[in-house]
Amino acid sequence: MTHMKTLLGVALTSTILAGSATADELRMSWWGGDSRHAATQAGLEACGAKHGHTISPEFTGWSGHFEKVVTQVAGGTEADIMQINWPWLPILSADGTGFADMNQLSDTIDLSSWDAAQIDAGTMNGALNGLSVSTTGRLFVFNPGTYAKAGLEVPTTWDELMAAGPVFRDQLGEDFYPFEAAGLDAALIVTLYGTQKTGKPLIDPATNTVLWTKEELVDAIEMYQAMVDAHVIEAWRDRAAAGNVALHENPRWSRGEIAGTYQWDSTYFKVSDPLDEGQEIVYTGILSQDGQQTEGIYRKSSMVFSISANSDNPQAAAEVLNCLLNEPEGVSAMGTARGVPSSSAAKALLSDAGAIAPEQSAAQQLVLDAEGPAIHPFMEHPDVRSAMSDNLELFAYGEIDAETAADDMLYGINEALEDIK
Amino acid sequence: MGGDSKYLGLWYVAPYVIGLLLFTAFPFIASFYLSFTDYDLLSKPEWTGLDNYQKLFTRDRTFDKSLKVTLVYVFMTVPLKLAFALFIAVILNYRLRAIGLFRTAFYVPSILGGSIAIAVLWRYIFADTGLVNMMLEGIGLEGVNWFGDPENALFTISLLRCWQFGSAMVIFLAALQSVDKSLYEAASIDGANKWQLFRYITLPLITPVIFFNLIMQTVQAFQEFNGPYIITEGGPLKSTYLLPLYIYDKAFKSFDMGYASAIAWVLFVIIMVLTLIAFWSSKKWVYYAGDKRS
Repeated sequence: MTHMKTLLGVALTSTILAGSATADELRMSWWGGDSRHAATQAGLEACGAKHGHTISPEFTGWSGHFEKVVTQVAGGTEADIMQINWPWLPILSADGTGFADMNQLSDTIDLSSWDAAQIDAGTMNGALNGLSVSTTGRLFVFNPGTYAKAGLEVPTTWDELMAAGPVFRDQLGEDFYPFEAAGLDAALIVTLYGTQKTGKPLIDPATNTVLWTKEELVDAIEMYQAMVDAHVIEAWRDRAAAGNVALHENPRWSRGEIAGTYQWDSTYFKVSDPLDEGQEIVYTGILSQDGQQTEGIYRKSSMVFSISANSDNPQAAAEVLNCLLNEPEGVSAMGTARGVPSSSAAKALLSDAGAIAPEQSAAQQLVLDAEGPAIHPFMEHPDVRSAMSDNLELFAYGEIDAETAADDMLYGINEALEDIK
Repeated sequence: MGGDSKYLGLWYVAPYVIGLLLFTAFPFIASFYLSFTDYDLLSKPEWTGLDNYQKLFTRDRTFDKSLKVTLVYVFMTVPLKLAFALFIAVILNYRLRAIGLFRTAFYVPSILGGSIAIAVLWRYIFADTGLVNMMLEGIGLEGVNWFGDPENALFTISLLRCWQFGSAMVIFLAALQSVDKSLYEAASIDGANKWQLFRYITLPLITPVIFFNLIMQTVQAFQEFNGPYIITEGGPLKSTYLLPLYIYDKAFKSFDMGYASAIAWVLFVIIMVLTLIAFWSSKKWVYYAGDKRS
């Protein structure tokens, strides 16, 4: 029995020791596609070697990552360094204590690489919880080759896009569409159209209230149906026939049969990598409409890097984070896998090295040049999104009319905002 | 062993007991408490009494829809799966050449299980441009919108569960092989045909196993998550939005752990009531060896 006790003691001690981190053992989590995974792992190796730390990567796709992070933060088991979506900051750290305050680590992190607006966007209740990795915005993306086959130039106005639908059907066939929008993308298109027309954001960041009237919302919702009727986008029912498949996994996108979409500029590689040989895409500006009040760009920090409030090694985490975002070793390895960097130091390094693809650079400039009202982070709150997407889906399937959809959207969004408060 | 022997057994069962307490009993009890609270994961739970249950039964249209979808799914899937598993088991009970190979082949889907990879595969097979529609179009029929049409989507998810019939089939097969062959011989001499042999001998004698499979498959069907999550994400029009998906969304997307716990407990009560009904009804149709009725 004595031997058994000794054995058990050794086993327990080994387990405890194996689970505890030494001073330079860190974890970093992020979401993304293959190109981002490869670049980030290379960056962690380079920065780990430079600063003498070992960083374990934890990466997933976008789907489910939010849930994973929330669960980890709630349990205090989150990674030392995390890639966080900017709208998650008020959810995870409304009082500024959900993540480490990087102002306290400014001896290690060179904060001068970010301008005041970027620092402000990552600050919660006075604590710098997230450093902007890149700025992103939704842009129209078109396949010029398919448009050329239809005898068209890529559109610059809503009217041109609407006119392209019948031409695609007549010239290329029923399976070809000049654009696509379903689910969240459809909700964002509706939001963009209404924002341009009214000049107002759907939710006011200053007051947490819905600014659109029911009539304005009805008008935007009806625009969606007009696009379906004009063969500009596939009907929701037909788009759903492929199952829960993202655009970049859809072979019809790869083949160019779907010739347009509305995407983040930072997802350039994600949507361009799967294209078949001979297919190409171009990011264009925001489509315009007659009498528009604003371009309505949906622009935000694409993501921030945060340090865990529970990290045993915040100083080491800060060294790695600074390396990834500011130092040549990390910056060159990370490249533009998260879009054009927000950090001026990283941007200068990559520009000098010619490492920013001209298409990416041009898309980023379109985002920065466009104007539009400030975006409320709660636009991406799951309950707000659900209120938009679920009711738009009911409308798209003909279950409810536009007025009822608008009523239910407003009710759902207001209820969600009330709960969030 | 000496004086230590009385504790040795405890050591052996300790890992299981600790696991049971930590990962089953504690969450089970905690979720009951949380169902009476407002809890967002990041701050302390606030006691709200019956508010969650009141909202659930009076104001939550999504719950109504999800509950209805779940019940339709369970009552469609379980009989279909059991019937199919029994049908295949009866076939595999014949003495055919290479029967071992066939039994293995039919069991393979259950080894693969309802994993993410299989759900993704299912998504491609039943997509508008997938294998099933290609086959339908190949024989001159029109392709079906399996996922985009609310009337078809739940059935397609149900088929995925039915495809994993192997474990139920193996249990049926074992039961079929335990039926006394002399009963068949006696009935055959009396002129019974194959259907009568099955209906009046096989079926009554395997009712305990049918009952066991019924309970197990019902409980599993109520817990279905992977298929609808991966293939349709609950859509379209929430036609595949089973209660486990709703619990997941409330817990991990809306951070409403209290409300999610309340839904989980309602689901638990539904499963328990249906199981009790099944046990009660079993007195009338399940026959055990040694039973006075048998």
